[in-house]
Amino acid sequence: MRFSLQRKQLCIPYFVFLILFVVIPILFIVFYAFTDAQGFFSFDALVSFFTSTKKINVLIQSLLFSVLNTLICLLVGYPVAYILATSKAKFNYVVVMLFVMPMWINFVLRTGATRDVLTWIGLSGGEHPYIATLIGLFYNYLPFVILPLYSTMLKLDKAQIEAASDLGCNRAQVFTKSIWPQTIPGVVSAAQMVFMPTMSSYVIPETLSEGKIVLFGNSIYIGFSNNQWNSASFMAIIMLFLVCLSMLVTRNYTEKDQEGGSSKW
Amino acid sequence: MSNKNYIIDLKNVSKIYEDGTVAVDDFTFYVRKGEFVTFLGPSGCGKSTTLRMIAGFEFPSKGEILLNGKNISNVPPNKRPINMVFQRYALFPHLDVYDNIAFGLKLKKIAIPLKDEGGNPVLKINKNKVKALKREVSLAKKNKHLTDEEKEVKLNELNEALEKAKTTPEQAYKYKKLSEKEIDEKVARALKIVDLEALEDRDISTLSGGQQQRVAIARAIVNEPEILLLDEPLGALDLKMRKDMQIELKEMHTKLGITFIYVTHDQEEALTMSDTIVVMKDGVIQQIGKPKEIYDEPKNAFVADFIGESNIYNATMFNKNVVRFLDHNFDCIDDFPVNEKVDVVVRPEDISIKNENEGMINGKIVNKIFKGVNYQYIALVGKNEVIIKSTKEYEEGQTVGLKIAPNLIHIMKKDFTTNIYTDAWIDKDNNVRIDEAPFECNILQLVEGGKDEDGIIVDKKGKKYDFNDADVVAEVPLDKIEIIDDIESENAQIVGEIIDSVYKGDHYQYIIRTENEEDFVCISSYSYNLFDKVGIHINKDDIKLRLKKEVSNYEI
Repeated sequence: MRFSLQRKQLCIPYFVFLILFVVIPILFIVFYAFTDAQGFFSFDALVSFFTSTKKINVLIQSLLFSVLNTLICLLVGYPVAYILATSKAKFNYVVVMLFVMPMWINFVLRTGATRDVLTWIGLSGGEHPYIATLIGLFYNYLPFVILPLYSTMLKLDKAQIEAASDLGCNRAQVFTKSIWPQTIPGVVSAAQMVFMPTMSSYVIPETLSEGKIVLFGNSIYIGFSNNQWNSASFMAIIMLFLVCLSMLVTRNYTEKDQEGGSSKW
Repeated sequence: MSNKNYIIDLKNVSKIYEDGTVAVDDFTFYVRKGEFVTFLGPSGCGKSTTLRMIAGFEFPSKGEILLNGKNISNVPPNKRPINMVFQRYALFPHLDVYDNIAFGLKLKKIAIPLKDEGGNPVLKINKNKVKALKREVSLAKKNKHLTDEEKEVKLNELNEALEKAKTTPEQAYKYKKLSEKEIDEKVARALKIVDLEALEDRDISTLSGGQQQRVAIARAIVNEPEILLLDEPLGALDLKMRKDMQIELKEMHTKLGITFIYVTHDQEEALTMSDTIVVMKDGVIQQIGKPKEIYDEPKNAFVADFIGESNIYNATMFNKNVVRFLDHNFDCIDDFPVNEKVDVVVRPEDISIKNENEGMINGKIVNKIFKGVNYQYIALVGKNEVIIKSTKEYEEGQTVGLKIAPNLIHIMKKDFTTNIYTDAWIDKDNNVRIDEAPFECNILQLVEGGKDEDGIIVDKKGKKYDFNDADVVAEVPLDKIEIIDDIESENAQIVGEIIDSVYKGDHYQYIIRTENEEDFVCISSYSYNLFDKVGIHINKDDIKLRLKKEVSNYEI
């Protein structure tokens, strides 16, 4: 009896934390999203969002950037992770660390340095805002792709791969029918780590495109800094909705992932 | 030439890994069509590697694997008509039962001979064959385990075949996939064979271990392979399930009529199911035979020990058809030269228990275990333990007579590489006493980094040891025993009589027996006569010592 009481008490700080930093802020956002400047219930923010081509364009542009960035990161990260996880060389772990290391350097500093390097090689944000932003996003999110994929691929079931080839798969088929399905959980978590954060990224497009590209994150920030709390909150709700949607879509895969326990991410 | 009845024929196959470990050493063996063959051996004996070479997951470093007379040594697994049931099933978790089983069928392409309008066969250069041969050539070039000469011969052969394939047109084929209906029918049949008809649509993760096992078998046999390979497929099942599956597998084998090659470390499993058992150890075949042959007539002590429970003793042929062990002369059937050192195997169930003094020897029962159908006793005869199985009950501590019929004593040739003396001991002068005679020895080998300080051994950490009276096992290689002609000389540490001499091509192997019946086996290029009295000298560094007890027992 005494024990269970103690356990309950242990929960209190977490509970307080969740209330203060998760539940109340969300309630605030919902409140602002569906009220007008006077604090009365209204759909103004909703209507103004869906009628403003500018805002819709920002949403579409952000989605495109996210999709593109996710694809490029996966295309580059997948083979790297596969090679690192399956080759027998001893320096594998070091290479993984080299890929991940930039993550530990101050983010703003790193992005500023990226801008300088890009300008130096002639891809300055002023002249090539799209390319510069994409390179910056890719550079930033690649580690988030490699790590989950690497840890999934470390646990590839070799017997399954052999079974596939035993049952008649050639090399390409071994990949499509055995390796790829086994790595889907890793791909899904990698995509999740890249897709939504890219949409809401603020510093990277701001710094690298020299303000020329506005992604969803930027536009929310601009809203709040211009005291348009209601419309900015509504955009935040849209983000939240998209996050829920993406989790719903990928739920099937991540569930399997938990059963197999094949990914730490 | 290969025999037509041999479905698979391994010729001098070796597998040497990059780090130099030899997993399989000069493996020569064939399997007849429809046979149930088991590779049996302890883990690391090379049985799985051999199976994997037959499957195509590993390629032999040397030698050839022939399938129906055709060399398939370097053919990748997807091009072999061989399927495997994996140790942990290796089912595809993203597919359901049906799709797992249909996996191979969906990939399968059936060759249909191409004919032109007139119905004549269309001839074309076989591009696949050319490609395969080119691959063989490049593999042969890279092979580090062949000598230059062997390599050249092989390359010449391959290049010749390649030229021939490039220039002679062969029957061309077009390839067709199986229709969905055909796949359906085959899957249904496979499911019926493994008794899983109702589970078609189930997810793999919802199946029990036994059911997964069956799916794995169905997935392999549905492709109608010529050989089914099974890599310890029952290892993950519980005992009861394993026994049931053993019987089912055996029935399946009879029903399907295809060749099974089975790998296991479980001797009982091997005896239950196989037509032929191949016993392996350290990559080398120890014995090939029918289960009963292997059980009744093991070729060496390893096989005897590994297959079933057995009593194994060092013995000497005392006379024609008389063998001496357990301090008694037993009549036997196997004929070996008199005085030859042999290993004797007696199965526990082949020893009958009589009343005291009514058997051939007396033993005292020191241990009794009830095993269900019978009791297992351990009796002490002198210093030796004898395991006996009997349905009758005897008490611990009871002295009983033991009797062994001549035909139940199995005698095996012993190959000498070294003399082993298990009842040697260290005397107060730090000499080793073998047969009570003192031999100078290097006592320091018993302690790592030890130093001798006035008869006390001190190790690196300063711990002191006194080995006076310590029991040790002494080993002396055959070629390190020197025969001294002058038995009065100082060098002769012990004197004995030559009781056996065998000429081994370029040297003689002698057995010198001392007064106390201790035998020294040694080799020499000089000729001695039987019953010559000679002395023996062993250099102090040639005696290898091993303490019977932990070294800490001698710390002071």
